[in-house]
Amino acid sequence: MRVKILRQQYPGAEPYWQTFLYDGDADASVAAVLDTLNYKDDVVDADGNHAPRIGWECSCLQGLCGGCAMVINGHPALACETFVRDLGEEIVLRPLSKFPVISDLVVDRGVIQENLKASGDYIGEYTPPSPKEHAHQYAAAKCLKCGLCLEVCPNYGKGEHFYGAVFANDCYLVASTSKEQGESFRKEYAGHFAAGCSKSLSCMEVCPMQIPTIASMAKLNRRG
Amino acid sequence: MKKVIIIGSGIAGMSAALHCAENGIQTVLVSPFPSERAQSVMASGGINAALNHQNDGDTVESHIEDTLRGGRFIAGEEAVRGLCEAAPDIVRYLQKIGTVFSLNEKGEIDQRAFGGQSHQRTCFSGASTGKQIVSTLVMECRRYEAAGLIERKLWSDFHSALIRDGRCYGVLLYNEAKRTLEPFTADAVIMATGGQNALFGKTTGSTQCDGYAAGRLFLQGAELKNLEFIQYHPTTLRTPGKRMLISEAARGEGGRLYYLENGKRVYFLEDKYGEKGNLMPRDVVAREIYNAGKEVFLDVTFLGKKTIDSRIPELRDLCRKYRGIDIYRESIPVEPSVHFFMGGLAVDNHHETNIRNLYAVGECASIYHGANRLGGNSLLAALYSGQVAAADIARRFSGTQDEGSDFVPDFEDYVRTQSEKLFRSMETESLFPVMYIRDMVAESLWEKLGIVRDEEDLTEGIEEVSYYLSIADKIRYDGSVLPYFNYSLEGILTLAKATLVCAKERRESRGAHFRKDYAKEEDAYRAATVISYDEGEFRVRLDREGRYES
Repeated sequence: MRVKILRQQYPGAEPYWQTFLYDGDADASVAAVLDTLNYKDDVVDADGNHAPRIGWECSCLQGLCGGCAMVINGHPALACETFVRDLGEEIVLRPLSKFPVISDLVVDRGVIQENLKASGDYIGEYTPPSPKEHAHQYAAAKCLKCGLCLEVCPNYGKGEHFYGAVFANDCYLVASTSKEQGESFRKEYAGHFAAGCSKSLSCMEVCPMQIPTIASMAKLNRRG
Repeated sequence: MKKVIIIGSGIAGMSAALHCAENGIQTVLVSPFPSERAQSVMASGGINAALNHQNDGDTVESHIEDTLRGGRFIAGEEAVRGLCEAAPDIVRYLQKIGTVFSLNEKGEIDQRAFGGQSHQRTCFSGASTGKQIVSTLVMECRRYEAAGLIERKLWSDFHSALIRDGRCYGVLLYNEAKRTLEPFTADAVIMATGGQNALFGKTTGSTQCDGYAAGRLFLQGAELKNLEFIQYHPTTLRTPGKRMLISEAARGEGGRLYYLENGKRVYFLEDKYGEKGNLMPRDVVAREIYNAGKEVFLDVTFLGKKTIDSRIPELRDLCRKYRGIDIYRESIPVEPSVHFFMGGLAVDNHHETNIRNLYAVGECASIYHGANRLGGNSLLAALYSGQVAAADIARRFSGTQDEGSDFVPDFEDYVRTQSEKLFRSMETESLFPVMYIRDMVAESLWEKLGIVRDEEDLTEGIEEVSYYLSIADKIRYDGSVLPYFNYSLEGILTLAKATLVCAKERRESRGAHFRKDYAKEEDAYRAATVISYDEGEFRVRLDREGRYES
């Protein structure tokens, strides 16, 4: 099968498409495909040309770290959780489009942390939460900060004003466990999320941890 | 204000950063990627603390005893006592900063059984304990980032430490954006770089943990310890990409291991060790699976949907997603695979190495676990070690006891030499690119450092790795991978060789180190192995005096 990748050597360099051939296991994940293409003595593209190794980010290879988030056949997803058998005759890979490219499929998602830091996303003095919140807190704290929810979101641009679902879930975590931060944080939520969200809820469809962001929104709205 | 540089931003690194910051120490947290990518997020099972919430009579003394026995009596008793005594407060602290633990019907933190433990001691958050802890520590660190006490430095790779006359003055980092080596000085450096997974290519852990830092520091004079003790987790699932961990939580909840003989199930561990057979320490279970010589399965079907959904949902999802296995109805085929490294940088009870002002915490430090780690003790050690290192630095550098000095030697020559070496390597040519050699070494180590070892295999392994080392500085620079992968090769190969040498020198079987030519545990070897590097020579000794952990 053919694996077409949008490549870019370094930040600011001209992007270009390059196609490789893969004839391995259909049960392999896209991450395993990238590994197979890379871990050869020489990397050669479909036309037989020598190619630089493919840059992509990974750590856990099993859907727990969010490193390998990319756009696969048009859908934002984790490469380690997307399987060849589900992808048809051709795999098309692009880097997430809403973050600056470092190289090939590696992007700089630093804006996620920067926005959380700028808005003071931390608990401070802890207030024991209601037992009713337990299940949703567990779910919200599983956020990988992978950026898939931002990639798919029709309202998220580059993170200048609207911070996206990743922010809403962290807002909920703070508001549900901190009296000290709770009030001011709901204001941050209102300004950087509630005001800009058109409720397409596409974020929930792509979330690899299946975080019910709508529940975070409902709880924050109710409290506010 | 005193300044500390921490290399690695997983749980151990963040724990150290938080406690440095709490003591008013300026802290720089260095890592290529944010904490969410750290191996810590993969820790699923839980964290040990003798809270006795199960009312089964658990005590701190039992925790100490289990840990020392599980490690086959070569861990330091005082060090382990400190770890186990601190555990209940650490778990309470985590809850207080927002970690969402699973709770029992009384609303207390729930606890479950884990391998090698006399009581139900392991606190957990579903099956994503590490991730839940990382999420709260990230948030807590952010509080100090906002206050200017913690600074995160991303896209930066460790190159080497700035060491002169047995003292560490800072680090040399490779800046991926600027593509240069940059020196940074500090009053102390804390290494929190995780285990040496890259020696084996792919393990159950993160591809980011490669052991380079330990190998490089070894070449710079830091001693390493207990490298031969490599934990093979008994239950991993083979997938096309990697071996995935099937958490011990599955057996903690009652899961049973068996193989088939003439169509009948043989519960070989229960047959040999009785009722608790499935929860023997990991080294024992892994060896028994190896000895069985048959395909082994883990059965959790009888637990029922309710227990599976509430106690091990992540395991259910993992099996379904990667292998199409429905654990409500089907057994899981499992096999042992490399999971954890008990060995690493040798540290004393304060987590300082033999290099003054150079500390190591988390999995890259060798302490507490002896010859075999108990499940639930690694998250605990990661958190505790960060606290201990930070406390020692705060004590040494505060007020009247201030041991700090503003004198920093000139490292200009060192930085220039290392930069020239790095850039010169880009111009050399040879037959093998670095990634290929990394793969070859991993292949050697899987073969020579398996669950069962012998002199002949280990000698061959040393010869193979020595050959790769002899060509390491002559090979072609692979311009299509990060320079890090190129300059890290020598350190990784050195660590691989040191590991094989330690395994060859320990002519007995203890914990995770099993020699078929020396199959018994011997009193003469009841001490940690320490290895040092001296002008090309690898020197091994047993630490009988307790120079390091005591």
